[in-house]
Amino acid sequence: MTDSDQLHPYVEWIIREARRPVVSDAEARDRVMAAIHAEPVPRRIGVWQRIFAPRVFSLSPVTGALLAAGLVGIGVIAGVFTSNRDGRASVEQPPVAQVVRPAVSDTVVKFVISLPRAQQVSLVGDFNDWDVAKTPMARSAHGGLWTVTLPLSAGRHVYAFVVDGSSWIADPSAPFAPDDGFGHANSVKIVGRGSSL
Amino acid sequence: MSDDAADVQRVLAGDVDAYAALVDRYYDRCARFAVRMLGNRDDAEDALQATFLRAYRALNRYQERDRFSAWLYRILVNQCRSVAARRAHRERVFVREEAVLLNTPDRTPVWSGEDEEFVQRVLTELDPLLREAFLLKHIEELSYEEMSALTGVGVSALKMRVKRACDRLRERWERIKHD
Repeated sequence: MTDSDQLHPYVEWIIREARRPVVSDAEARDRVMAAIHAEPVPRRIGVWQRIFAPRVFSLSPVTGALLAAGLVGIGVIAGVFTSNRDGRASVEQPPVAQVVRPAVSDTVVKFVISLPRAQQVSLVGDFNDWDVAKTPMARSAHGGLWTVTLPLSAGRHVYAFVVDGSSWIADPSAPFAPDDGFGHANSVKIVGRGSSL
Repeated sequence: MSDDAADVQRVLAGDVDAYAALVDRYYDRCARFAVRMLGNRDDAEDALQATFLRAYRALNRYQERDRFSAWLYRILVNQCRSVAARRAHRERVFVREEAVLLNTPDRTPVWSGEDEEFVQRVLTELDPLLREAFLLKHIEELSYEEMSALTGVGVSALKMRVKRACDRLRERWERIKHD
């Protein structure tokens, strides 16, 4: 099919109607900007950071197998040149330093949701035993934005917002968790180490 | 430097309000795609909010050699897919009693009406992948090369999806005509 193919009149009519602009909620853009103001300002990334930024490489199974075989080969050759016949290392090795892993520390996480009509919003999750009273959220200066900041341990957390003490809603900006069995939609936050603000 | 690139530089220099210019420039066009794709305004606003938020968070990774609109659209298409997937979980489906429209006495209501909801309903009936390709091609008027860059799908596959979408719509008309 080329772009110039004749379209059926019904299809043309659908296209014409669907091209009409959508009348959007006048406050929707304000809500976008309110959410933007709650975010930290993105920083410029320098040339060196771009070059040395971590990247994800994907390898085909064949390439991966060849790479693995090559690394094993290098290991074997290195072993032959550094060991005696009895297999012990010919050069005295310094004691291997014990790897000290940082403790799984708390990470500061900020939760934000836009609920202009809400009177009261609280955050519930596996980190506060789903207790509606434990983590109330504060209304920000930007209208209907509700925020709360709290320390969370690294890992996967399931949470939701409770509006006016009764309505449970998931975070529209986060992945959804499977239904909790009580008909509530929950969200998932994966917390790494360091600040998540 | 384009207006978009200049606004991005202002934001990265700390002028957050410069982002409002980008939102104003692209909100309506993005809203049309999101509403047509998702079939209702609530879901569309969720997708739009997430799109502009994610674009803002990733603004320092935006490369000036790319067109900002294409970069933003790529995020929007992905957000619409995510929102649609979540909605499938919630089974919150756009409902419209189409029979009322189709069973009027002269049986030609679709030609005379300008019922946005009706068009939404027709679009919602399309398979999401066909709908996405149809909207990008015929409503947003992108080239197949632009669509391929946005979706990661090959040009020939996209052409096939657009053709199938048009075929489904034509078949639908044939059914209406003969009912």
